[in-house]
Amino acid sequence: MNFQTVRHHFIKFYGWARSTGGITVILTAVLAILASIDKGVFILTNTFVTGGMWALVAIGITLIFGVMNISNFAHGEYFMVGSLAAYAIITPLNAHLQHHPNPWLLTVAPLIAIAGATLVGAVFGLITERLIFNQLRKRGKGNWLLNCFLVTIGISVILSNAYLLLFGASFRGILYYWDLPPILIFGVPVSVDRLFTFCLALFTLLGFWVFMKFTRTGQAIRACSQDERGARMVGISVNVVNIVVFCLGCAFAALAGASLLFMFPAYPTVGLMPLYNSWFILILVGLGNIEGTIPGGFIIAFLQVATRIYLGEGWENIIPMFIICLILVFKPYGIFAYSVRSVWEK
Amino acid sequence: MTGANNLLLEIKNLDVSYGFLQVLWGVSIVVGEKEFVCLIGPNGAGKSTTLRSIAGYLTPKNGAILFAGKSIAGLDGTVISREGISYISEELNLFTIMTVRENLLMGAYTVRDKKQRNERFDFVFSLFPRLKEREGQLAGTLSGGERKMLGIARGMMSSPRLLLVDEPSLGLAPQMTTGVFRALQFLNGTGVTILLVEQNVRKTLQITDKGYVIEKGKIVLEGNTSDLRNNEHIKKIYLGG
Amino acid sequence: MENIASNRLGLRRLLNLASMTPLGFLGLVLLGLFPILPYLNQGYLIRWFIWAAIVAAASMAFDFSGGYISIVNFGFSAFIGVGAYSSALIALRLGISPWLSMFLGILPAALLGFLVGAVSLRLRGMFAICFTWFVGLAFFGLAMKLVPLTRGPLGLRAPYLFKTSSNLPYFYVAFGMLVVTYIVLKWILRSHLGLAFQAIGQNVEAAMTSGIYPAWYRIINFTVSCGFAGWLGGFYAHYYGILTPDLMHTSKTVEILVIAYVGGRKSLWGGVLVAFPFVYAMEMVRSSLANLPGLNLIIYGLFLILIMIYYPGGLAESYQVYLGQSRNPLVRWLINK
Repeated sequence: MNFQTVRHHFIKFYGWARSTGGITVILTAVLAILASIDKGVFILTNTFVTGGMWALVAIGITLIFGVMNISNFAHGEYFMVGSLAAYAIITPLNAHLQHHPNPWLLTVAPLIAIAGATLVGAVFGLITERLIFNQLRKRGKGNWLLNCFLVTIGISVILSNAYLLLFGASFRGILYYWDLPPILIFGVPVSVDRLFTFCLALFTLLGFWVFMKFTRTGQAIRACSQDERGARMVGISVNVVNIVVFCLGCAFAALAGASLLFMFPAYPTVGLMPLYNSWFILILVGLGNIEGTIPGGFIIAFLQVATRIYLGEGWENIIPMFIICLILVFKPYGIFAYSVRSVWEK
Repeated sequence: MTGANNLLLEIKNLDVSYGFLQVLWGVSIVVGEKEFVCLIGPNGAGKSTTLRSIAGYLTPKNGAILFAGKSIAGLDGTVISREGISYISEELNLFTIMTVRENLLMGAYTVRDKKQRNERFDFVFSLFPRLKEREGQLAGTLSGGERKMLGIARGMMSSPRLLLVDEPSLGLAPQMTTGVFRALQFLNGTGVTILLVEQNVRKTLQITDKGYVIEKGKIVLEGNTSDLRNNEHIKKIYLGG
Repeated sequence: MENIASNRLGLRRLLNLASMTPLGFLGLVLLGLFPILPYLNQGYLIRWFIWAAIVAAASMAFDFSGGYISIVNFGFSAFIGVGAYSSALIALRLGISPWLSMFLGILPAALLGFLVGAVSLRLRGMFAICFTWFVGLAFFGLAMKLVPLTRGPLGLRAPYLFKTSSNLPYFYVAFGMLVVTYIVLKWILRSHLGLAFQAIGQNVEAAMTSGIYPAWYRIINFTVSCGFAGWLGGFYAHYYGILTPDLMHTSKTVEILVIAYVGGRKSLWGGVLVAFPFVYAMEMVRSSLANLPGLNLIIYGLFLILIMIYYPGGLAESYQVYLGQSRNPLVRWLINK
């Protein structure tokens, strides 16, 4: 690594750092560190924990938008589904463990809950795609974006009210997944749940990257998102791709809901916040920008954590909203200036 | 050249409409195995519409489309591609954010065997050495001629029996057109049946065996290109006297 | 058909002025009469229908932007809320009669509409929808948090329009507002403004080449739409007497949006026609099946999905397809053909 390449990389980095995206990311990082010094490290921990998951949820909605051209207003409801499913699995397991303590099961039970919830989310996605979007696709493409949006509103209403109807409005949460003492990281106590969630998010993101870049299906998905007719022309089954993409998106949302159960209990409208967050991120990083959702997730997470601490409970949805409005006005393509497909502008 | 015994593609009395507007009227075309057939005619005559109907992107109102005796009318584009028909659209529909190599890899999507895939890569790169030079370049940054080459190359990756090519010379400089046509001739020589839709009549008639002339949605002339070249109507309208 | 007796001609001219078909007029008359009819004269029915009238008028104002210039105002209920809270606060703090403050409440709503419309000029399609949505969310949040001003979730008390506790006068005020909204909006749409709206809604670039500057017209349209929202909000405040931030929640916008779209894009009367049976059905389900909360909204959602898949044009389009092609002379006279 000689001086020339170092200099070259430094110049590239410097160029990026001066762009809107670069400034925002660096500024957020600096503010996060300052806030942690001021109020405590839990700001950083919570930002990392929730940020990873919001990024996952946002990837779900970005995928669905990028490949299937569906603006999904019901995305948050799959988070709710995951939340509820995880609760429904972990509670009887915990009850069983009360009477039959089993160290192996104790460790594995949360994993079962989260995996099961993700599966349930995927199944819900499958049902939605086949039953609703496939039918919509068959019946003509006029006004597709708007019709989809309205249909997803219907789905959202049905799902959250079905929860209300079947399970009532009470909060169903857990205190923790693992009843273990916090682990010390650089002298800072971090609960096992939080650490696990962060690692799970990283692991899933990595797995997703591998899937998209190296597997045949992943490449097919990328092809479909770029040119659907071209994908058909090379023999890719767009139908299968649509199913995979939608199920994957919903599964991610459900995964997030399940793994954050100790922070966000299950209740009928728990899906609203993931919904707002994923749309924030979507607009912040540019519609369709998958790589950008990762820093985007952390930025939004920090914004919410910081506003909650400094301004009090309830403000954490308002401030990000104003910021997003500013972004929409000055940089509608997001801070990373991602060139969005023109279909959005119809 | 000719030597066709089987009919690979048969179109019988095809009627196609866009909504309420009918654009093809009783079109009948026959392409024998290993033949090189062209479909020529003025702008808006229905050439691209015909190809799109065969390729599965339009459902005909009436009529039959048979591929090796099997009816394929109304089937989806994906299914038709898997039957062994590669459609090279006029817009090419390349994956612009993927590299040349990735586009070709996508072309070989249905080819499961790795060894076979590599053979296809070798074949395609020997046909279009320019593409090998630009292997790692994004498809969206290629020149017009290179994109046409990539389009045809991608279509060839799946070893199709029938190639449907829509106006490859459109927007190309003459030397590039010659290069593309030469490549198509070579492909036909290796046994690929080709149905070529074109506006550049002179060059097209030089490389094809048979031709159909379509005007306003109806076939008005057909025959061997040697006869078509001497036809009065063709000479007057398409070859400039 | 034109040479009917002169009084019929006079009626027809009047109807044309009000942009109503004889069928529509008939419907309105029936609606206006119903609280006086003995069997239908139920207290709960009148309450439901007042809400239906508000929603119907709101859906017309919503469709004015959503259907005609294709800007879906997904924060619409926030503008209703702004009008409601403004009117309530003006009446409370300045001691002004609610009748007057109802109209004064239009100003903040219209101003906000002007600003939002101006900003959303740069945005198209989904971006504009997102922007209006976030504006709505922001105002909902503000209403919750600015407790000194709005009393947050505890609710803000507003003076009533009438001293009486009967719902009947309120019904006629709501009914009147419904009719006025329809006539005014239809009048604007029939003017050259309306033509410009339609041109912009269909194809912005084409409109620009015809010399129409979309910016100006979009702002006007949006401001008018939000102004009406504010007006209706004022009525809401002084009828229900108590305001909570829930009024501004996205779910309220969704209720109005569903009715507007099931009624049909670019059709004002479609929303009106749909609103009444919808609200009736919803309230019916909600009250009779009180042990099954949320069921009414599930049916709502199902309905929306089914309509969007099978009849995306809404009621108005089905009307065009079925009734509009009828050859029955009575039907044709009723629908003014």
